[in-house]
Amino acid sequence: MDFFSNFFMDFVKQLQSPTLSFLIGGMALAALGSQLEIPEAICKIIIFMLLAKIGLTGGMAIRNSNLTEMVLPVVFAALLGILIVFIARYTLGRMPRVKTVDAIATGGLFGAVSGSTMAAALTLLEEQKIQFEAWAGALYPFMDIPALVTAIVIANIYLNRQQLKEMAYAEPLSKVAVTAGDDSRTRRAYPGRSTRAVLPRVKIWPIVQESLQGPALSAMLLGLALGVFARPESVYQNFYDPLFRGLLSILMLVMGMEAWSRVGELRKVAQWYVVYSVVAPFVHGLIAFGLGLFAHYTTGFSLGGVVVLAVIAASSSDISGPPTLRAGIPSANPSAYIGASTAIGTPVAIGLCIPFFLGLAQTFGAN
Amino acid sequence: MAKPAKKLVIITEKILLKKIAQIIEESGASGYTVLETGGKGSRNVRSSGQPSVSDTKANVKFEVLTPDRDLAEKIADQIGMQFFLDFAGMIYLCDAEVLYGQSFCGPEGC
Repeated sequence: MDFFSNFFMDFVKQLQSPTLSFLIGGMALAALGSQLEIPEAICKIIIFMLLAKIGLTGGMAIRNSNLTEMVLPVVFAALLGILIVFIARYTLGRMPRVKTVDAIATGGLFGAVSGSTMAAALTLLEEQKIQFEAWAGALYPFMDIPALVTAIVIANIYLNRQQLKEMAYAEPLSKVAVTAGDDSRTRRAYPGRSTRAVLPRVKIWPIVQESLQGPALSAMLLGLALGVFARPESVYQNFYDPLFRGLLSILMLVMGMEAWSRVGELRKVAQWYVVYSVVAPFVHGLIAFGLGLFAHYTTGFSLGGVVVLAVIAASSSDISGPPTLRAGIPSANPSAYIGASTAIGTPVAIGLCIPFFLGLAQTFGAN
Repeated sequence: MAKPAKKLVIITEKILLKKIAQIIEESGASGYTVLETGGKGSRNVRSSGQPSVSDTKANVKFEVLTPDRDLAEKIADQIGMQFFLDFAGMIYLCDAEVLYGQSFCGPEGC
């Protein structure tokens, strides 16, 4: 009972924090049909600033820390990224009216990491004065890339298999979920498509390359490299660090507005996406929390670090993930996976999962 | 004098920008113009006006001048077959008359 009352008090307190209140404010504005617009260019520069700052923090921390401590959390992060995709493939993918490719893409997006969610978690940890390894933010790419690669690879393996089956039945363009839209129409419009040979084998390196070239990861890796090899302390203290929270609040506002405007899109796809995007962040986060605790007791990974691991597992990518998946699994329906992630997954991760895992960590810390 | 030509217009998702530009370049067309756009179609309203944290929803419009219908159709077929089952897009063709444009008409003018 103590846990629940603690958790509830924490939860209310965190709703009042700038991060969460701006998120909720954004949703309210969008719900009321406000005309407020934050220019896209500003969002891009904010994302750059936030991730560069996280990268710089991590880089400067790595410079004076013992790298062997990082091994176990990094391995866990990568494992989680891969595992989450398979969870989606075999739970969400089995539900009625859910196409398997859409489920795999959704899993990929939920396995990938949201830079803004992670930034929110790091801010809350600092506000609550919970210690965490400064390099914890550097776990991001180790979960993000494996998740996206796994999703694209297993989706393409699945599609290839479907196509082989289709060809074996000698009746091309039977009712296979792969092709979108009206078959007879598409056949007339694109004659080459129905006789198309088996899809080429998926190459892994281009996917990795594309995620590394994405705006979020490149900003973060740049920060990381500068933190390790250069001396960015002065610009960090005068510019990146003080602006971080203010910019984060603007980004949260935008994400709240975006979430609300995407809810309508989600209504057009199966309801199972709603169930999945509410439950999955907690399941993923709890698995990560368990693994993190293991690292806590064996290698002394801090409880704050455990929270970061849990939150990045609970988060779903909203900046760099969608374009990568769209290009890698073009036949998956973007309304399904982007709707599930942006409209529900991200608000759940930021608004519910962060306070939840913070509370959980505080309970463990008190014992 | 005006030189008759075809104007090929391709409206599609911004995410395809580089791939389509590559197809047009490889086809031998002398150049193209790209505009950022938004609008409404069978796949619903896309881009414009919404706050956005990712680029997947923005549209682009390509305009390509080709000397004849064959080249325009070649480009259109390649793009249609490769992308338009999975991505939103449409392609149409107009008659055009080029008045000025050295790369198109050659050094002696149109």
